[in-house]
Amino acid sequence: MIEELRLRLQALQRPPGIDDDPGVLPLGVETIDGALGGGLARGALHEIAASGEAHVASAAGFVLGLSSLGNSAGKGEVVWVAEDMTLTESGEPYGPGLEAFGLRPERLVTVQAARTHDLLWAMEEALRCRAVATVIGEMREGEIDGVAVRRLSLAAAESGALALLLRATPPTDASTAATRWIVGASPSPGGGRSPSEARRGGVTFAVSLIRNRRGPTGSWILQWSDIDERFLLATHAQPVAAPLLDRPHRQVA
Amino acid sequence: MLSLWLRRFSTDRIAKSHNKSRSKPRRPAAPLVVTGRRGNVELIVAVDDIAEQRGLSPGVALAQARAMHPVLDVIPEDAEADAALLETIADWCLRYTPLVACDAPDGLMLDISGCAHLYGGEDALVADLSSRLEAAGFAFSIALAGSIGAAWAAAHFGKPGSHACGTERKLLAPLPLAALRIAPETVASLARVGLKRIGDLIDLPRAPLTARFGSELLRQLDRALCAEHEPLTPRLPVAPYVAEQRFAEPIAREEDVLAITARLASRVKIALERRGDGARRLELTLFRTDGAVRRIAAGTSRPLRDPDDIRALFVERLTALADTLDPGFGFDMARLSVTVAEPCAPEQIGIGGREDAAAIGRLVDHLNARLGSQRVRRLTAQDSHIPELAAASVPAQMTGTDDGWAVFRRYRDDVELSPRPLRLFTRPEPIEAVAEVPDGPPLRFRWRRALHEVIAAEGPERIEGAWWSEHNGPARDYFRVEDKTGLRFWLFRAGLYRDLMRGDLVPGTPAPAWFLHGTFA
Repeated sequence: MIEELRLRLQALQRPPGIDDDPGVLPLGVETIDGALGGGLARGALHEIAASGEAHVASAAGFVLGLSSLGNSAGKGEVVWVAEDMTLTESGEPYGPGLEAFGLRPERLVTVQAARTHDLLWAMEEALRCRAVATVIGEMREGEIDGVAVRRLSLAAAESGALALLLRATPPTDASTAATRWIVGASPSPGGGRSPSEARRGGVTFAVSLIRNRRGPTGSWILQWSDIDERFLLATHAQPVAAPLLDRPHRQVA
Repeated sequence: MLSLWLRRFSTDRIAKSHNKSRSKPRRPAAPLVVTGRRGNVELIVAVDDIAEQRGLSPGVALAQARAMHPVLDVIPEDAEADAALLETIADWCLRYTPLVACDAPDGLMLDISGCAHLYGGEDALVADLSSRLEAAGFAFSIALAGSIGAAWAAAHFGKPGSHACGTERKLLAPLPLAALRIAPETVASLARVGLKRIGDLIDLPRAPLTARFGSELLRQLDRALCAEHEPLTPRLPVAPYVAEQRFAEPIAREEDVLAITARLASRVKIALERRGDGARRLELTLFRTDGAVRRIAAGTSRPLRDPDDIRALFVERLTALADTLDPGFGFDMARLSVTVAEPCAPEQIGIGGREDAAAIGRLVDHLNARLGSQRVRRLTAQDSHIPELAAASVPAQMTGTDDGWAVFRRYRDDVELSPRPLRLFTRPEPIEAVAEVPDGPPLRFRWRRALHEVIAAEGPERIEGAWWSEHNGPARDYFRVEDKTGLRFWLFRAGLYRDLMRGDLVPGTPAPAWFLHGTFA
């Protein structure tokens, strides 16, 4: 009896985001999946920050790539909640360009929020909807409080949907999200050729995983192949160790 | 038909507002007149009871009135305030019937056919209306008759009260001709030939009357006598589905309002199902005991019938305006009307796709109700080759079934459209660019104060302006460029340097300029 209760208590106390039940979403890149313990946790909140304001489009591309990996059937809806300012500062999602990242524009619902409070509320509501596969929340600088993140994590764990928080600048606040990434653009392999030639391999990202509740962190150069709709590890010889990232939170020593 | 005439409308309004503010107590028994400028003269346009007893009447010049009564409260007319108050009273009369028309400047017309029994008969309805108006401090007269014209005539000139259908002739005969609502000039010219009362007119041969005084006169007479139908133009469109509930005790709590909404919704549902309709726009009208009326509207993204869904919609609306609901002493009546209905196919339960569509519809309604319908949007493809017009974001509740993307994909594959950026700026942002001469790709450019060194560029893709439209701009040459850090942009040059050098430009056209339009991932 006591034993049974203990087990139930344990199940209740499991932090959201580490729960294995909704499964994981393999990125298809061995080293990253290894670090993540099989792949990106579904039913959890992940933070993806652009390495600088100019890199927001790259970070958005990475987010959409993750979203389409998790929604390969293309059936679920994607809800993109953005603060008013982000749309004027970083541009609005452009329908004809979305399909390169595997998002069919008719599947997208965009929501404009006037305040961070509304943004978090709308994300939570969207996560509670069973038809929604991915919820993207886009915000500019500013901190969000731990309680809101926790609520989002719980809502995501309940529904099994992917909750992705896209931030315009690398955040400095503590986070309870399952992972935190910093994403920026990276020169296409064989720079100097025309972009379309250089892009045969796909769009290139400098990705660094700076917080991971399941394991180690790391930095990679990734490419998105819009033909296969999946991520590949960049094959060109470029130093991977130190991507050009602004990481003020790491400059401790 | 019920005609309500507020005899002392303007002066009652002023007296009420004075009583309310109490800042300037009115001198007792000073005659109150409202004046307005007509032509070059300041005329009295409305008087109160005391002023009338002293022999003042509308139409008397103010100077003359002052000469008669040096102690006179004179207030300039305020037509807007009058109109606003009349609208409020009309709103409030919606509790009796949805068919309420304003009879400007100081009356209302209510079509109560089929509604009176809800109040226990016409007399009870009139009694209810009278007691409320009296409590509000208005002087009024109410008449009921078979036609709009007869009711109006009785309220303004005849004996107020209820006149049965078919007695119009008896009712109208002794009344003066002005009761027919005809132009004062016609009344005057009829008086000149000795016709003063409606009774004088009824049996006269029609042809000479029309020939001399125009067709308007006989039409008004026919309408008053029920010989011709006169349509009532309600102030608000009449909702196709309505359910209402009156309460013995006023309700004030939000939970009660929501509970009653759900109950009304289940009543509306039966009617909706019978006709195979669903609600697209709903309105909840709450009548406060003191006469104020609160209207709360909510839209839906798909035809809706389920009472729980409707209740959920209003939960959000009420949360969004919690502090403005202001129940005061409570609401004594609630009405739920479906203002826009659409056919709604019978639903089969349990087939995945449809349920998902319903779920996303519920989400959209929910977000809409809290954030506003302009903030929840979907993307649609438009038939345009100009990038910023090719995709439009429209409110999600308005999106139809055809969003145009299928057509767009076919077009893209046919013309092998070059890649489009992930994010587009609504307004292209001007940049300073150094480019190859004359019309080559940029070498470096400055955007938002940061310098970007271009290492690879592709283009141009020329997109002509909309020459057939007045928003026509110069042709644009689009380039996809990548800078040293790997950032990828979509730039364009509006206009051609070649034209400038050749001197082909029409004088007055601006020189070519560079813009940044979007960013690639």
